[in-house]
Amino acid sequence: MNNETGNSCPLPSCPDHYGTMPSCAGLAVPYVPFQQNAPKKYAQEEALSNGTLFPGLNLPFHLKTEGSTLPATPLSELQALEFVVLELGMYLDTHPEDTEAFTLFKQYAAMEKAAKAAYESKFGPLTKSAAASGETYGWLKEPWPWNYEQNEVK
Amino acid sequence: MFLYEKKLQFPVKIATPNPKLAAFIISQYGGPDGEVGAAMRYLSQRYAMPFAEAKGVLTDIGTEELGHMEMIAAIVHQLTRNLKAEEIAGSPFAAYFVDHTTGIYPTAASGFPWSAGSIQSTGDVIADLTEDLAAEQKARLTYDNILRFSDDPDVNNAIRFLREREIVHFQRFGECLRLCKEKMDSKNIYLTNPAFDKTTAMPKAKG
Repeated sequence: MNNETGNSCPLPSCPDHYGTMPSCAGLAVPYVPFQQNAPKKYAQEEALSNGTLFPGLNLPFHLKTEGSTLPATPLSELQALEFVVLELGMYLDTHPEDTEAFTLFKQYAAMEKAAKAAYESKFGPLTKSAAASGETYGWLKEPWPWNYEQNEVK
Repeated sequence: MFLYEKKLQFPVKIATPNPKLAAFIISQYGGPDGEVGAAMRYLSQRYAMPFAEAKGVLTDIGTEELGHMEMIAAIVHQLTRNLKAEEIAGSPFAAYFVDHTTGIYPTAASGFPWSAGSIQSTGDVIADLTEDLAAEQKARLTYDNILRFSDDPDVNNAIRFLREREIVHFQRFGECLRLCKEKMDSKNIYLTNPAFDKTTAMPKAKG
């Protein structure tokens, strides 16, 4: 195994929230354990809610405020799909050989594309070029992303 | 180039305005370890990177930080909407209000405006990526401290998300550093700077 890349740990009991380290390494440079290939993954809504796709990297602070959950809206469903694509894309930057992750990346990218088109046909353009396919110029339509209203249930 | 998408990365839906919290959270916009600095740092550092993995990681994380800038701005905007001047007087938001009303301005909670002095772009692979590891930790602890002050679950949903992103980014920068190190001299990683010394014949470490 290459000491500097992911693959898998030679120890059969190595847990998902652990990574690989070189058994012998050059001095005077930082080492972060490399996340192993094919890590466990959350479903998309749980990934967005936790801020990571990977249970092994979910390391929350001890202070938690209960009582608020993510709204289940067409927008948040699209955000969840897009988040998985972003998270897998970043993982693939350092794990380009993980074929399982690349297959999932392709599947989620296709799902995101379809979900975005469906969202835009109902709620208006998300990109400037999508504004060209409307019957009238819809780019200025309220609300904007920072407005409370865009994040309300609809 | 960059294309704008007219939505946030994560839902920001804050039911109750709260100028006190806004006065703290603005620090993650324009403070020393805020999202403006993170985006500028990573998107500036990528040009000198000699290795594809580092170009990719810095581009992707730097772009995500632009989205985080927008999330923090949205949080501050919603926390300060529909306020009366008397609700602001006497709150920690009053000093900010005098200068900026409820506009969004990149400043630290302590009042210092955003400065490129809080970031670096050294043109050196190991130095930049090591700075990036530290930057993610500093942003993570700032979010910890915001969570100490906030009991609003609507705010904390978004803050917890942003805090967790710092941890994931730390992991990717760490992996990226190891991938870069693999391409450098195995006996002496500091023998050359591959971002600058690449045009000459690469010396090899003795021994």
